[in-house]
Amino acid sequence: MWRPGNFDRSTSLFIGLIVLSLVLVTIDLRAAGGGVGATMREGAQTVFAPVQRVVAATTRPVAQFFEGLSDVFSLQSDNRRLRARIAELERDIERTQSLELRVRQFEALLGLETPGELETVAAEVLAVGPSEFDHIRVISKGRNHGVGVDMPVIDEGGLVGRVVGVTATTAQVRLISDPTMRVAVRVERTGETGWLTGRGGGPMVLEMLNTDAAVIEGDLLVTADGRFPPGIEVARVIRAARSEVGFSLRTEAVPEASLTTIDFVLVLVFTRDGPGVAGTEDESRIPAVVPDDTGERTSGEFEEAPPTTTTTTTTTPGDTTP
Amino acid sequence: MKSRRILIAGGVLVLAVVLQTSLFARIRPFDVAPALVVVVIIGYARLLQAEVALLLGFGAGLLQDLLAVSPLGLWALVMAAVAYVVVRLRARLEEDVGVTAPFVFVVTFGALALFTVLGTIFGEKTLADAGVVKKLVLPAVYNVVLSLGILPFTAWSIGMSRRPGSQFRI
Repeated sequence: MWRPGNFDRSTSLFIGLIVLSLVLVTIDLRAAGGGVGATMREGAQTVFAPVQRVVAATTRPVAQFFEGLSDVFSLQSDNRRLRARIAELERDIERTQSLELRVRQFEALLGLETPGELETVAAEVLAVGPSEFDHIRVISKGRNHGVGVDMPVIDEGGLVGRVVGVTATTAQVRLISDPTMRVAVRVERTGETGWLTGRGGGPMVLEMLNTDAAVIEGDLLVTADGRFPPGIEVARVIRAARSEVGFSLRTEAVPEASLTTIDFVLVLVFTRDGPGVAGTEDESRIPAVVPDDTGERTSGEFEEAPPTTTTTTTTTPGDTTP
Repeated sequence: MKSRRILIAGGVLVLAVVLQTSLFARIRPFDVAPALVVVVIIGYARLLQAEVALLLGFGAGLLQDLLAVSPLGLWALVMAAVAYVVVRLRARLEEDVGVTAPFVFVVTFGALALFTVLGTIFGEKTLADAGVVKKLVLPAVYNVVLSLGILPFTAWSIGMSRRPGSQFRI
């Protein structure tokens, strides 16, 4: 017959620790990012930030040696690719400048207010999450530098993620590749909107709201007018897709930001709480296609739905990129 | 002497968490980092008193939780389980040193698999991760390599080459 005395001391302690862990998980989940858990996290991150800063700086030469080794093989092809990219971008810049001029003229004609330049905070990546399943980066700027929760983070390629935690001197950024992250995007070529969902690494899943509009390989996806400011480059479609009637349109897209090797990032000082964007949480903006994973614990990670109709924003994709 | 050993083991575990989040942010062969904390816990749980090993594992896991975004307590549970498994099987390990490498592999793989299952149960979508198999297998392989240096280091750091009362030398 079972009796509590049947367990030795270590087994009893182990059972006690399991119970304690489950109690902690329950308390933390119920607090939903606040409460004692948040205070403890902020305390631990504040204590660890200087240590991580020192270790990151001292181990950089070692890490760079290993990075250098792997880079040697790709230098030549990278060089060729980058030269081609520069030529392409120079053409784009010329085209963008003339477009900007025209947009300003139209705005003046229509009496629209020009969207202002967003303030940015440059930061260094200090640390990553403690496991392969924590898709986060700790950056070197925090509340004292004007960084706040929910602000978008970009690098030279495009959208990196969103600030999910902030201390006085550091902030935690959840990457767009995290499976709990969904970003409302717009296909730049057609203006059609959809959702981009992380898969923990590699290509992300693109789900279009309008299943009749096809996407083709190489289509650039930019942020729609959702939680993030519109027009930030997010990903590029790698596989063309056309839906069959009655089925959703799904394909894959690769993030434009180099999520695995980010060193420096820019935080855009932007939140959806500003007076100019009131009403974006309005129910009328919820898409006809209801996302299949609503009502989860991390529902806060999801953006509000983008408009189902074509977005006619006046912000050009380059406006918010460095 | 005993409290000094616990302090040293605790300090090394904190250092392991720091290295895991900073150094291994950059050294990532095939885009995956080793699970350093797991192998350090294996190292100390082989030698220290069972209760101490369990508490150290739990504490290191809790620290990892505080630096992660997953619910607080998940890593604590996983690391306590790692310490418990090592404590239960360490006598067997001493009898046959040859099983150490497969043991490190299986324990690391098991710990990460347990975390992915628990993470999914608690809403972190860890099993939906596209590279889940790679993220379970590669850290386990790396840990086997790391254990060649870390297991002797953990023993040296607390001045113990074998458990008190053990019949075998490690």
